[in-house]
Amino acid sequence: MIGASISRWTMSYFAMALAWLFLALSLMMAGVGYPFAEVASPDTLVLVHAVGIGWLSIAMCGALFQFVPVLVAKPLFSEKWALPALVLLTAGLVSLIGGFLSLGGRLPPSLWLLPLGAILLVAGFGLVVVDLGLTAWLRPAGPARFVLAGLASLCATAAFGAVFAFALAGWAGSAGNALLAAGIPLHAIAGLGGWLTLTAMGVSYRLLSMFMLSPDVDERQSRMTLGAGALAIGMTVAGGILAIGLASGLSVVLSIVAVFGLASAALYGRDIAGIFRARKRRQLELNMRMATLSFASLAATALLGIALVVTDGFAAHIGPFAFLAVFGWLSGLVLAKLYKIVAFLTWLETYGPVMGRAPTPRVQDLVAEGRATKWFVIYYVAVWAGTLTLLVGEPYAFRMAAAAMTVGVVGIVREVIRTRRLADVASPVRLPGGAIAPHLLFARN
Amino acid sequence: MTDQLVERVRDALRAVIDPELGENIVDLGFVYDIAVAGGAARITMTATTPGCPATFFLKEGTQAAASAVPGIVSADVTMTFEPPWTPSMIEPAVRASLGFAAVN
Repeated sequence: MIGASISRWTMSYFAMALAWLFLALSLMMAGVGYPFAEVASPDTLVLVHAVGIGWLSIAMCGALFQFVPVLVAKPLFSEKWALPALVLLTAGLVSLIGGFLSLGGRLPPSLWLLPLGAILLVAGFGLVVVDLGLTAWLRPAGPARFVLAGLASLCATAAFGAVFAFALAGWAGSAGNALLAAGIPLHAIAGLGGWLTLTAMGVSYRLLSMFMLSPDVDERQSRMTLGAGALAIGMTVAGGILAIGLASGLSVVLSIVAVFGLASAALYGRDIAGIFRARKRRQLELNMRMATLSFASLAATALLGIALVVTDGFAAHIGPFAFLAVFGWLSGLVLAKLYKIVAFLTWLETYGPVMGRAPTPRVQDLVAEGRATKWFVIYYVAVWAGTLTLLVGEPYAFRMAAAAMTVGVVGIVREVIRTRRLADVASPVRLPGGAIAPHLLFARN
Repeated sequence: MTDQLVERVRDALRAVIDPELGENIVDLGFVYDIAVAGGAARITMTATTPGCPATFFLKEGTQAAASAVPGIVSADVTMTFEPPWTPSMIEPAVRASLGFAAVN
């Protein structure tokens, strides 16, 4: 076989990720955590980890199990590790969140849940990193390099997080406590900027080129983008730990990180604009049009960051800045690509085996873009409105924005379920002889 | 007779579509060569993206479609990415309907 097969558990990862997203949206609508509590409060930690690990990381891992083999045109190192990793990640996150609830007094004292959660999460992410890392390493070129840098950042993020979890339980000694007291920005930058953003960048290069029939980005060009991003993350981890060790404060380190981070985002913008310009398919599908709103959100996040630094308001407005990065840039991109990936994988699973033997529909016949567009628009407008409510300090209006985001996500998920059920495929070609309808939550291969 | 068989194989391959572009692989220009000798068909073809799982199904589908042609006893399909496929290889009428610029 040339290259890749269908990843059995990618749909299970997507389903679990969406479940965590709904939990996070419910918390935001209910007013649990920021902006109704401090950014560093236990309630906010519940929210942040439900989004960062539950939604974004699990969705990203699910996509990578399918996608890294495509990037390197080699099979996944081990398909068998994907399900145990999902179980470990889920159990670890439940335990971690239990620990945060205990920390905030919402559960009886049981801080041991934090280190237990950390151990389970490190084990789960460890399986993912080894499996994907050994696969990507087979041909570490182009987008696969971004994935490797993202996986290295994931290791750093998990290591910081594990130290924090042990420190919060009182098991990490003075060095752990010092890291906990000052190192939370390092954990957040390594996670959102390194793991999630660098990986999303790498995957988007290939997905965009593939689905728009555009030539791959010149390797020297993308290497500069990755270099700036990797320097930002390397500086965050090494410079940050050194600064904490020397008790010299993080402001110099974070300034350097911001410069490299902005450079990386700007170079990425240049690369993406080049892919769009060179595309051979002139008409953009819905997932591409919606991805452009995600790229616009990334640009807006960068501009907002600059504006807040210039006006000396960054520390006070870290919430809206992170919110726009997480929900506009990362979540928007993941939702747009998930919409496409589910249709594409469902087509492969259902119709691939009967191709040449019976008439088959196109991938586009599995989706109803006209109907789906409004849900994406509602989602993005709600995210931008939510960012504004946080900037101007209107937490009750923020809850309404969260409700509108939920409406958008429910609509998108309904469309994805219809795709999975082949509900929009016209009956003559819906299930040709020999084709088997897919299962909602996993691939039958 | 052999030429007729080649044409029959070519027609049969129109049952295989690229799922993304939604057109058959013959009109898309994916089929680089069809040779038939003594009932054995040898097909050389390409796809848009190396490493994509769809590429595997395109190859399998091509093999199945060719094997079903009366007079063909075996079909051997080789997937190649040299020369790389470009939209200029699409039949002009299909290219226009897909929204590709002619210069591509």
